[in-house]
Amino acid sequence: MASAAIPPQARARQLRACLLCSIIQTPVDFRRNGCPNCEELMQMKGSPDRIQVCTTTYFDGITAVIDPEHSWVARWQRTSKYVRGMYAVRVKGRIPEDVEAELESRGIKYRPRDQTDQD
Amino acid sequence: MSDMEEDTLPLGQSSDPLQFDDDEEEVEQRHGSDKKKGKQPRRRDEEDEDEEDDEEEDDEDEEDDEDEGTSRGRKRQKRRHKRSAVNRFLDVEAEVNEDEEEEEEDEEYGRDEFIAEPGGEGEDEETSRRTVHHARLDRRERELNDQDLARIAQDVSQRYKRTAVRYTGDMNEMPQRLLMPSVNDANLWQVRCKPGRERDIVFSLMRKAIDLEYSNHPLSILSAFQRDSLAGMIYVEARSQKQVAEACNGLVGVYPGRGINLVPIEEMASLLLIKKQDLTVTPGSWVRIKRGKYQGDLAQVMDITENGEEVGLKFIPRIDLNPKDEVAPDGKKRKKTGLVASMGARPPQRFFNHEEVVKVYGRKTVTKRAQSYVFQNDTYKDGFIEKDYKVNALVLENVNPTLDEITRFSKGQDGADSEMNVDLSIIAEASRKAAIAVLQPGDHVEVFEGEQSGVHGVVDSISQDIVTVTPVGVDLEGQKVQVPARSVRKRFKAGDHVKVMAGKNADETGLVVAVAGNVVTFLSDMSMQEVSVFSKDLREAAEVGAGTNTVGNYELHDLVQLDHQTVGVIFKTERDSFRVLDQNGQTRLVQPHQISMRRDSNRAIATDAEGHELRVGDNVKENDGEGRKGRVLHVQGSFFAFLHNREIAENGGVFVTRARSLVSLAPKGSLLKPGSDLSKMNPALSGGAMPGGMAGSGGMGRGPRDRLIGVAVSVIKGPHKGYFGTIKDTNGPIARVELQTGNKVITIDKEKLHRRNPDGSHEPLEARGMGPPRNGGYGGGGQMRPPPVPSSWGSSGGSTNNPYADNSGKTPSWNSSRTPNPYADGGRTPSWNSRQTPAWDAASRTPNPYANTGGFGGATPAPNSSWGGATPKTGGWGGATPRATGWGGATPKPPAASTSWGGATPGRSNDWGASSPQSWESSADWVGFLFDLFTLSGSYLELHRHQHRRHSARLRQDSVHLHRCLHPPPRLDTAQPPRGHLLGCPWALTCSLRHPRPSLQCSTTRTASPVRALSI
Repeated sequence: MASAAIPPQARARQLRACLLCSIIQTPVDFRRNGCPNCEELMQMKGSPDRIQVCTTTYFDGITAVIDPEHSWVARWQRTSKYVRGMYAVRVKGRIPEDVEAELESRGIKYRPRDQTDQD
Repeated sequence: MSDMEEDTLPLGQSSDPLQFDDDEEEVEQRHGSDKKKGKQPRRRDEEDEDEEDDEEEDDEDEEDDEDEGTSRGRKRQKRRHKRSAVNRFLDVEAEVNEDEEEEEEDEEYGRDEFIAEPGGEGEDEETSRRTVHHARLDRRERELNDQDLARIAQDVSQRYKRTAVRYTGDMNEMPQRLLMPSVNDANLWQVRCKPGRERDIVFSLMRKAIDLEYSNHPLSILSAFQRDSLAGMIYVEARSQKQVAEACNGLVGVYPGRGINLVPIEEMASLLLIKKQDLTVTPGSWVRIKRGKYQGDLAQVMDITENGEEVGLKFIPRIDLNPKDEVAPDGKKRKKTGLVASMGARPPQRFFNHEEVVKVYGRKTVTKRAQSYVFQNDTYKDGFIEKDYKVNALVLENVNPTLDEITRFSKGQDGADSEMNVDLSIIAEASRKAAIAVLQPGDHVEVFEGEQSGVHGVVDSISQDIVTVTPVGVDLEGQKVQVPARSVRKRFKAGDHVKVMAGKNADETGLVVAVAGNVVTFLSDMSMQEVSVFSKDLREAAEVGAGTNTVGNYELHDLVQLDHQTVGVIFKTERDSFRVLDQNGQTRLVQPHQISMRRDSNRAIATDAEGHELRVGDNVKENDGEGRKGRVLHVQGSFFAFLHNREIAENGGVFVTRARSLVSLAPKGSLLKPGSDLSKMNPALSGGAMPGGMAGSGGMGRGPRDRLIGVAVSVIKGPHKGYFGTIKDTNGPIARVELQTGNKVITIDKEKLHRRNPDGSHEPLEARGMGPPRNGGYGGGGQMRPPPVPSSWGSSGGSTNNPYADNSGKTPSWNSSRTPNPYADGGRTPSWNSRQTPAWDAASRTPNPYANTGGFGGATPAPNSSWGGATPKTGGWGGATPRATGWGGATPKPPAASTSWGGATPGRSNDWGASSPQSWESSADWVGFLFDLFTLSGSYLELHRHQHRRHSARLRQDSVHLHRCLHPPPRLDTAQPPRGHLLGCPWALTCSLRHPRPSLQCSTTRTASPVRALSI
């Protein structure tokens, strides 16, 4: 099963969460591998600038998703189709506009991870 | 599974050209590298690689990646080579079998291999490639036939998904509510852990799950999470408690022993929905800085970065304009400043001033850029420092900027744009949340934003954040409007009487004079100052600063001892402190603990300018200086008097002055006018008891004590019947009598006592209503009882006939004859007698009461001369007193009494008389040691004094009542005199009456028990 890079230290200040899929990785991992779930859109690999705008340190709550397919937590967080890894429960901020536009063009509804719109 | 991959390989290959190309490149790069590597080494390589991955640090560079790629390509080639060789002879299945064991471990690897294979093959040597091709083609054709197309499609999609990770957001369309947990989902378990370790534990669980995944006992939990707002607990998603326990076993900081609790299904979602208080910052809002030199300082948000992590702030800088050592080398200096900053001895807030800074730090340190200055890497604009801060270095909640801070801010550097225009709206915004809690049904509110803006009305009900308002005065009348609580504010209009509920000015009350937005300005009742507060802190209230009159044990207008030399009067109470005016006229702010004690000046007397006694409660006027009038609050050391006049704004109307410069406003003098009873005061008539007695002595009197004290009595009832003694003390109906025999003091009912006149005759104790004064001072000698001189009555009667003329004739002598010691109570003593005599006894009983009263009231100066010692014939005056029987008992002509009061009498006879002469004269429960003085000054009745400490509380209450009853002050000549009820108050009362017509002036003392009613 695919798995994201698990940050070595929970305390690390540097932990960043992806604004789109809420996965938590260190900036190094983001730079090296990009986002394991949405790299296709975010294109953070090797681009620290992109990482700055597409991820944030401002998140609350950490989930260790061990079995995404069967976990209700993952389903509730809409990460059950994503790789195994550490995810933030709540991420503050919105994805950059270009990504949002791209999502729209694909007809994908963007759900911010800050729990502002719950339906 | 594996054979399927193998079989469908060509399809996968075509479907992912990108991947293919990548691998081909790789392969090309690595073409020349060695192909002879066994399977074992390769696998080890792989593992090493994993380890590397794990251990990689931030600063590791591309080389790693390079290596990785190298080894991978190598492996692939190796494998490919081997397989192609084998394929010629072996069935494909065999090869797959061989791979099977590693398949599970590393799918990615396998995938890479398959994809890469064709590429590699192209480079391979001709023969082998061709054979492979053939074999594959055959196999594929065969299997294609066998397989269901649909199944292939499925496989394709599966493969595609895994490899390309195209973002589909396929779950985003689903409404959140459909994701609610069901009974089929695994449960959430709450596990206690060490606070602060939650994150580490969640990470540990993740690593543990990965580590044990392929062990004999893999973890079977599905997920675990932690919320920042739920300290000391983590939540684990698992199907059973046992699984959770297994997962937590061995982890540090988890306490599964303290219970693994099942989270009810309906609460599962809310755990993930917990929101921290929304810490949104918007430009213009207020924040505080958490750390550093500016810790706790208020700052205003100017802008926010896109991701909301940093905000640009502006605040008042703290530049050290006295740097410690300017000459020290750079490094040292920096160190030092850093130290200072951390020590907390930080420079004060001060707007950036270019000139000042240049003066201290030199011209080079400051550079100017456009509108702003740059100094020590900080930007300063308009005096403010502008700096970026991380959001988490700021306090966003409960900022509560004070009005002072805000005004400071809004004034800016030069104090130009004051008027608190912009910023108050923001501060109000900040405190709006609190405002919700402040609203109450019945409050007048107005809607200041939104659709209903401008509507005002009364709050009907409040539920959460919604306020239902019944509008007033608009066409919405009758309907009810629901508005968010944050959109309404309390409404006040000029003229409302309000009370401050919170803040610095709490408990102030006052009259609203101006309303500007949500700032209400009112005139404080206490301080007469204008106070501005937010309307949210106000409430309408009828009370007048009541709450503020008492702090601790002290209340307004108390005389308090500040130190040995200083006493003062509290003229203003604040929240927990007082303003005190001391005897020197200084005001000071005093905390309750700084007050050593409260002084009681109720019994203190001083002497006024005219030599009269000055007591607490007297209405006086300064005869020099500003000529201020006031009521005596306290007398201090016979010298200073604290006065109160509510018309004086300064110091709450309290001022201090010398007692000697005060003149009584009330007809004090009347007390000294025995008037018609001059003869009684004549010592000559008293049987020569005390020739020099008039010299008077200060010991005479601390106030009007019970006149029974010192009276010689004989016991007429009870076991002590027949004994003689002297009354030493009285208490209600009880007297303490010192018996002449045996030097014994007994406590006895006054009813059992009879006054024993010096001639041996007896009379009821209360016959005259009053006992003789305690005349120690009067004679200076021991003899208390003036000898009865029967003849004196006659003489006094004679003098009564024409007292007026008599007195006036003697007037000039008054001053000259006065004893040198004005304090002396020589004057006072007779006043007791004289006062009581005409007022209610003589007035009603003497044959010519009119003359009597008139003489007594109007002829003030006269009597003194007569008794002042100038007249040798003093014997008569003391002698009058014991003759109470003579006039006390004789009440033959009530009608005459009425006239004697000069019009006021009708009421008097009704009410004063309600306790008929008998009732008080013979009343057993006569209480002599208290009395209330009513001053009818200028035909106004005012409760003047009461003097019984033990009952003071009750009495005070009664007097208030009395005040109220008598308000507005009655005129003397009204037909229906208003009545004041002093119920159940068995005290003696003294009234002095001052009427515009001097002939109607009089004073009276009443002891009546109980006094049922009073009227004038």
